[in-house]
Amino acid sequence: MSTHEKVTINKLPTGVPGLDEIVGGGLPEFSFNIIAGAPGSGKTTLAHQFVFANATPERPALYFTVLGESAIKMLRYQQQYTFFDPAKLPGSIRFINLSQVVLEQDLGAVLEEITKEVEKTNAAVVVVDSFRTMVRKPQSDMDLQSFIQRLALFLASWQATTFLIGEYSEDELRDNPIFTVADGLFWMRQTAERNSIVRKLQIIKLRGQASVPGLHTFRITDAGLQAFSRTFGLTGHKRTSPAAVRLSFGVPELDKMLGGGVREGDSVLIAGSSGTGKSVLATQFIAEGIRNGESGIVAVFEERPQAYAERAASLGLDLETPQKDGKLEILYLRPLDLSVDETMHSILEAVKKIGAKRLVIDSLAGFEMALSPGFRADFRESLYRMIFALTGIGVTILSTVEVDESFTEFPFSTYSISFLTDDIIRLRYVSIDGELRKIMVVIKMRGGNHAKDIREYEITSKGVVILGNRLTNYQGLIGGLPVHTYRSDQMQEPSVESGIKSES
Amino acid sequence: MTIPSETRDLARRLIMYEAVAINGSEPKESATLRVYEKLRQNLIAFAGVAGFQSLASRALALAKSEAASLGSVKVAADGSLRGLGEFEYQANSSKDQAEGDQGVDGEIILISRLLGLLLIFLGETLTLRLLHDAWPEADFDDHNLGHGRKA
Repeated sequence: MSTHEKVTINKLPTGVPGLDEIVGGGLPEFSFNIIAGAPGSGKTTLAHQFVFANATPERPALYFTVLGESAIKMLRYQQQYTFFDPAKLPGSIRFINLSQVVLEQDLGAVLEEITKEVEKTNAAVVVVDSFRTMVRKPQSDMDLQSFIQRLALFLASWQATTFLIGEYSEDELRDNPIFTVADGLFWMRQTAERNSIVRKLQIIKLRGQASVPGLHTFRITDAGLQAFSRTFGLTGHKRTSPAAVRLSFGVPELDKMLGGGVREGDSVLIAGSSGTGKSVLATQFIAEGIRNGESGIVAVFEERPQAYAERAASLGLDLETPQKDGKLEILYLRPLDLSVDETMHSILEAVKKIGAKRLVIDSLAGFEMALSPGFRADFRESLYRMIFALTGIGVTILSTVEVDESFTEFPFSTYSISFLTDDIIRLRYVSIDGELRKIMVVIKMRGGNHAKDIREYEITSKGVVILGNRLTNYQGLIGGLPVHTYRSDQMQEPSVESGIKSES
Repeated sequence: MTIPSETRDLARRLIMYEAVAINGSEPKESATLRVYEKLRQNLIAFAGVAGFQSLASRALALAKSEAASLGSVKVAADGSLRGLGEFEYQANSSKDQAEGDQGVDGEIILISRLLGLLLIFLGETLTLRLLHDAWPEADFDDHNLGHGRKA
């Protein structure tokens, strides 16, 4: 058979934002699926979202409830979600209680009841909630395996997409016939990490199409479940080739040090201790982009957007107008309990919304603190995925990071993330002539030459201003305690040229 | 916990609706029982027998505190009512109109209480949808059910 003759498997929307991406574009039509997890993990809500997204009067959904939650209470709670459309009841979505059949009869009678209802209504979606309570009862006439096989066979033949919901533990994965028969297995977890609750979803199995592997964060809000793919919804996006375009920082001398500016699509790290001007430089970077017609996003974690804009205004940088014009978005990502994937989702939505070319993350320390403790262990890995994904779609990222100032070392970051960045600019204090002054140096610039100069700078009412030429008459500047060499008081020009020459 | 007048009106309308439907049929059925049975059948379908039985028991307990005439009425294990429907016969046969009126009031209270519980648990939209399903010909759209909170 040639590839042209392959059967087409329709993909149904899951009704859960972000989940379609995770399952590979949607749930395979007519598939027989299990949603497993502990109580309270969101299984019923997930099934409801699928049901409300797919049920129609012509092809309704049948929601069989068994010995679990009372249907009346379930409806009482579920209608609080925004996806719950009461107009779909009972025409498109029918709730049928099987408790009596389960209690008084055997699985054969249950199968008969389901069969009768599906045949009668021509159902497109069938949910059994909770399937686990049904099979816990000692079986007599029909063994469990036979029941499941017959149920799966019948529902597939009747062109129904099915969800069986059950409270299972991971130990039960092996040797359970239900998991063998199932086409799809959705595992939902809810774990406590110190004081936070972390919800994760895993597609353990999905026949017929490739799903995104791994554990995906999800959150339950008034809108129901929202899933955050580990690939940030960028599956299938082509990585853009590194461009020759250089982006200005808005600090001419720094642009020169960078050989003309930051390469578009680079990830830049500005590292320095408190008060060295990391945020100021980041603000200048975003403001310069807006001046050049490049929309931008600033993700702040340590201060509110208004305070951020006011601080920019004190430097003569107007961030209010571009916000009103839709060219700038300052995202305040509420602290605590975030996952990187959620943060990324917010950033990506903003990037898509305004077509942002520049992104500032101020700061990585704040970002880490905003995360649920459970996610902090994976911070570097998550950061890697985030940077890779965003730079892949051509966004230039500038992150700030606070480093502990030491007068014996010159660390680039406390996160050991320098390998994640293309360019590193290091800011630090030095003690010169009885003054605490500031110096700047470009440590690294992947794929491009840069100056090796150590330059003094000041933070003025116009932002970061680089003073004079490179400091040639001091030794030990990067250690913070330089020694005057009296070698020459003449400042040399131009540093970029010397840097480029030294590399060639 | 008084019953909102809108809920009571709806209960009365449902009973009247059924009374018209059974007019002329022999033997005479209780209109209230017919209303109750329709609610029972529809609710059992999705809430199960036990779910309906517990709801009906609560409604009856609330109604009994307001209507002494319901004293002998019971909810059976399958959710059906025992002891209701005798008032109409009494009223017609013994001509004791006062007692008959009391009985009918009690029946209205019982149905009102049941509707009130549905409003509390399911809300107005779903309750109306359920009623539409049970009485497809009837028009409930002009009815404000009092949102059930007061029921």
